[in-house]
Amino acid sequence: MRAFEYAAARTPADAFARTTPRTAYLAGGTTLVDLMKLGVVEPDAVIDINGLGLRGIRLDRDGLRVGALERMSDVAEHPVVAAEFPVVAQALQASASPQIRNMASIGGNLLQRTRCGYFRDVATACNKRQPGSGCPAQTGANRGHAVFGTSASCVATHASDLAVALVALDARVELAGPAGRREVPLADFYRLPGDSPQVENDLRPGELVTAVAVPRLAFARRSTYLKVRDRQSYEFALVSVAAALDVRNGTVRDVRLAVGGVGTRPWRLPLAEQALRGKRLTEATARQAVEAGTADARPLAFNAFKPALLRRTAVRTLLALGG
Amino acid sequence: MTAEILGRGRARVEGPAKVTGAAKYAADLHPSGLAYGYLVLATVGRGTVTAVDAEAALASPGVLAVYSPFNPLKLYGGIVHSDQSFLGQNWLPLQDAEVRHHGQIVGLVVADTFEQARRGAALVRVVYDARPPVADFAAALPNAVSPGPINGEPDVLDLLAPGVPSIEAALAAAPVRAGGTYTQPPKNPVPLEPHATVAVWDQAGLTLHLGTQAAMPSALTVAAALGQDPARVRVLSEHVGGGFGGKLYTWAHPLLTAAAAQALGRPVKTVITHEQMFSVTGNRTPVHQTVELGASADGALQAVKHEAVSGLSTSGLIFEQAAHTTSRYLYKAPNIHVAQKVAMLDAPPSTWMRAPGEEPGSFALESAMDELAAKLNLDPVELRLRNYSTVVPGRGVPWSSKHLDECYRLGAARFGWNRRAQRPGSVREGDWLIGYGMASAAYPGNQFPYTMAKVRLRADGGAEVSSATADLGTGMRTVLSSVVAERLGLPGERVAAVLGDSVLPMNYGAFASAGTASTATAARAAASAAVAQLVQVAVQNAASPFHGLDPKDVVYAEGRLTGPGGLDAAFGELLTRIDVSGVEAQDGSAPPPDARNFAVHSFGAHFCEVRVHAWTSEVRLRRFTSVIDAGRIVNERTARSQIAGGLVFGIGQALFEGSVMEPASGRTANANLAEYLIPVNADVPVFDIQFLSHPDTNFNEFGARGIGELGTVGSAAAIANALFNATGRRVRDLPVTVDKLFG
Repeated sequence: MRAFEYAAARTPADAFARTTPRTAYLAGGTTLVDLMKLGVVEPDAVIDINGLGLRGIRLDRDGLRVGALERMSDVAEHPVVAAEFPVVAQALQASASPQIRNMASIGGNLLQRTRCGYFRDVATACNKRQPGSGCPAQTGANRGHAVFGTSASCVATHASDLAVALVALDARVELAGPAGRREVPLADFYRLPGDSPQVENDLRPGELVTAVAVPRLAFARRSTYLKVRDRQSYEFALVSVAAALDVRNGTVRDVRLAVGGVGTRPWRLPLAEQALRGKRLTEATARQAVEAGTADARPLAFNAFKPALLRRTAVRTLLALGG
Repeated sequence: MTAEILGRGRARVEGPAKVTGAAKYAADLHPSGLAYGYLVLATVGRGTVTAVDAEAALASPGVLAVYSPFNPLKLYGGIVHSDQSFLGQNWLPLQDAEVRHHGQIVGLVVADTFEQARRGAALVRVVYDARPPVADFAAALPNAVSPGPINGEPDVLDLLAPGVPSIEAALAAAPVRAGGTYTQPPKNPVPLEPHATVAVWDQAGLTLHLGTQAAMPSALTVAAALGQDPARVRVLSEHVGGGFGGKLYTWAHPLLTAAAAQALGRPVKTVITHEQMFSVTGNRTPVHQTVELGASADGALQAVKHEAVSGLSTSGLIFEQAAHTTSRYLYKAPNIHVAQKVAMLDAPPSTWMRAPGEEPGSFALESAMDELAAKLNLDPVELRLRNYSTVVPGRGVPWSSKHLDECYRLGAARFGWNRRAQRPGSVREGDWLIGYGMASAAYPGNQFPYTMAKVRLRADGGAEVSSATADLGTGMRTVLSSVVAERLGLPGERVAAVLGDSVLPMNYGAFASAGTASTATAARAAASAAVAQLVQVAVQNAASPFHGLDPKDVVYAEGRLTGPGGLDAAFGELLTRIDVSGVEAQDGSAPPPDARNFAVHSFGAHFCEVRVHAWTSEVRLRRFTSVIDAGRIVNERTARSQIAGGLVFGIGQALFEGSVMEPASGRTANANLAEYLIPVNADVPVFDIQFLSHPDTNFNEFGARGIGELGTVGSAAAIANALFNATGRRVRDLPVTVDKLFG
C-alpha cells in the first residue's frame, strides 16, 4: 500500500477545499481500503467525510430520503424502508456480510467499483484501471461479467444490489461539490463503459453523493429483490431482479423491473415493463415480456447461461409478486 | 469418573483461549526488533527472470532489503531430493532465475513494518523472458504419463477373473452398464489462518514460529536448507488455524524468512496473504476420471473400470490417486481395473489436501454406482449391499474391523431413506424439487511407523503429556489429555497436553488421519510407563513409605499408590514427601507386526436431502445423516466436529470450490476468498452424525481409527446423487453450479 495523508473533513466546504484529482473520499472504507491494499487505487490523500453528517432516513410526502452516510444495515433494518420499499431493504440484506453492511455507507455502496478480477489485479491489463491497456475479460475468466451495456473496452459488471433496486424505483442522487448542489436520476448517473470505462459516473471533480431520494410509489409496498448467486450469502449476484408490481384483478396496472449481475450498470428493463402493462399476469405473459426486454443480451464465453437464468429469475419474481 | 472421560463430549481444552483471542498463532507474535517480510510473486507462467530493479523499493521508507535471484539468500539444494525432506516442492526459491509457474516466489522484501514491506514489494520491477506455460489441463490430458507404482501396486492394475482377457471383455459381457466421465478443477486448502512464519535467531540457533501440521519434519527441513545442525533449529506451532494438508509440508517462505532474519540480524515475520496462498503453499490437482461399471441384471458387479488422470505440477510433488484409493477395494467384483496417469502442468505445487485421492475418486465411483442403481431400477443402498466386500479384492485379506453394512442400514433408518422416490424429478414442494442421495465413505486407517509420547507425573498431583504433534483444530490436545487422564484415573483438567514443538518426543505430525491412532496410543503407553516409573521411585526412595517393597505389591489406581498394611498415598503427596518434582517416562506406538494380515479402513455412509428450485436451479441442502464406523471414538464432541468439517469440505467440493486457471498464462483468475467460494454457514445444513462404536483392537490396543478425512470422502457424491434424484439431471463436472443444473 502506498503511503498517503489522512484528513478528516469537518464541513462540506472543508472537504471540497482539500480535494484534488489525487485525493479520495473515505466513508465506510469497505471498497476504498481494499483497493488501496491491492494497489488499484493510490490516492495521495484520503479525506474522511464521516464527520459531515449526511445522515437521516425520512419518509415524507415526496418519498424516502436517505443520507449518503447512513450505514447499509441501518437502512436495511429501518421499519419505514422495510414497509414502504421492501425491494430496497431486501437488496441491502442480500448484500455482502453483516460486518460489511455495518460499515459500508449508502453513498459508498452506489460508488463501489466493479468486482472484475482483472480490474483488481494490477499485474494484468485493464482499461478501467489503466486506460488503453486492454481488457483481458473479453476472452478471459468472465463468468461473472456483464451481458448488457458492454463494449470492446470493458465488460465489467456493476456490483451493487442496492443500485438495482433504486433504479427500479426511479431514485435520484443528490450531489454536492465545489460548484454547488444538484440532483441526478440514478439511472443517468451511471455511464456505459464505451471507449472510456475509467469514467463510471457523472460525478464532477470534488463532488460527493450527499443523499438518495426515492419518489413515493404506493405499489412499491409490493416489491421484492431476488438474488441468485453461487452460494447463499456473502456473494455477488449471478443475476438479480428488482421488481415492484401493481396488479389488480389479475391485470398489471404498472410494473418496475430492473436487473443486476448482468449489466455494466444497473439495468432497467423498460421494454419488459411496457409489454406487461395492461396484460393479465400469467407465466406466458411474464415470459414474453421478459424475453422482449432482454433480447439484446450479449453473452461472453463463460456466461452464456446468464440470459436464460435472468429470464427465469425475472419470471419467478413476477409470478411470486403477483401471486 | 474414569469411564466417563472417554467417549463423552468433553469440551475442547483450548476452546476458551481460542474464543477469547488469548490463543497466540504464529502471526500474533511480535518479538522485539521485529522486521516484516513480503513476497514478490511472478506474473508470468513460465520463463526466466532477466532483471530485477530494486532501486525504487530500496529507496522506499523502511525497506531494509530486497532479495531476488540476483541477490539471493543462500539455501542448500541437497534438501530438495532428500528422503528426510518435507519440502513441498522440488526447487528452492531465489537460487536460480527460472520461473516455473505463475505466482511463484521471485523476491522477498523486508522492511520495518508490514505496510512498508508490501509497498516495497509493489515497487520491485521484475523483467521476464516469458515462455508459454503448459497450464491447460484439458489440453494436457493426451500427454499424460505414468506416475510409476501406487501404494506398491502397478499404476495400471488389472484384477481379472481366470479366463477373462481384459476389463473391456468383462464389461462387454455384462448385461447392464453405467458410468461416465467425471471432472473437477484444482482446489486450494485456503485455511483461514494464513501461513505465517516468525524467525528468531539467538546463540542457541533458530526458533521458528510456524503454523504447521508437522513441527519436527519442518525443523529438519529448515535446518537442512539453511545448513544448520538440526539441534539448532526449533519449530514452535502452538496453535494452527486449519491446515487441511496445506500446512503439512514446508514451503519456501519460511526458508527465506529464516535466512533473511539471519542475514539482517533481527527477527523477521512473513505472513502470506490469502491471495498468495493460491500459488505459494500448494493445491489439490485437477482430476479427470472415467468409470465404467458392468453388472448382472440383479445388480451384482461384474466389472469395475476406473481410470484417472490427475494434474501434477512440474514443481512437484503430490497427485490425486483417485482410482487406486477407491475402486481398487470398495466393492466386491470379479474384474477390477484401476489406472492412474498424471498430466504435467506448469502450475503451483501440487500437495496433499484432505482425503487426497479419495475425494475425487469417491465422487466418480459413487456417482457411477448411483447411475448403475438408476439403470437397474434398484435402491442405491441395496446395490451397495449386494456388492459388499469382506476381503480386499486380489489380496484376499479381511479388514481389521468393517461395519459399513451397519452404517448403510442405520443411516437409512435414521434418515428415512425409505421415503426416497426411485423416479427422479418426481417429488416437489411448491417450486422446489426434492431429492435424496447417498454414498459410501472409506479412508485408510493409518498409523505412523513410529510415534513417541512422554507423560510426566508432577508433585502438584497433576500430569502432563507431550508429543511433537499438532492441533490444527482437530481436538488432539483434548484427546491426549483425555486418554492419559483415563489411564491415570485423574480428572481431565489435571492432565495438560503439550504439543506443537519440534523438541518434544518424536512425532511425524497431524496428517493422514493418523493422529489419534498414533499419538493417543503412544500417550497411553507412556502413561503406563510413567506409572511403572512412579512405582520404581516409590520403592527405591529412602524417604518413601513404600521404600523397600516389591514393586509388584504396590498398586496404582485413581491417582493413588496403595501397598500392604494400608499404605496409601496420592502420587502428588508421595512426590512432595520425597522431594521429587516429578517422574516421567516415554513410550511409543507402531503399527502391529501382523499389519499385513488385515486391511484397515474407516467407513461411513452419507445420506442427504437437497432442494432445487424449479425455476432457477438454486441448490439448498436440507439435511445430512452420516453414520461413521471408525473404531473407538475417544471424544464424541471433537469427533463430531471433525466429521462435520469433512462434510463441509464435501459440500465445497460438490457445489462451490475450484481454482480457475487461465490456460494461456497459468494465472489463477480467482485467487482470493471472494471469488474462490467455500461454503458459508447459510450453505451448511443440519448434520445428523452418528458413530458406531466397534473398537478396532486388531489395529491398535486402543481400538481407534482416524476420522479427519472420512467426512470428506463420498459426501460430494451423495449431494450429486441427490441432485439427480431431485432433477433427473446428472452433473459429472464439479462444482455443480446453477448453470450446469438448468436447461
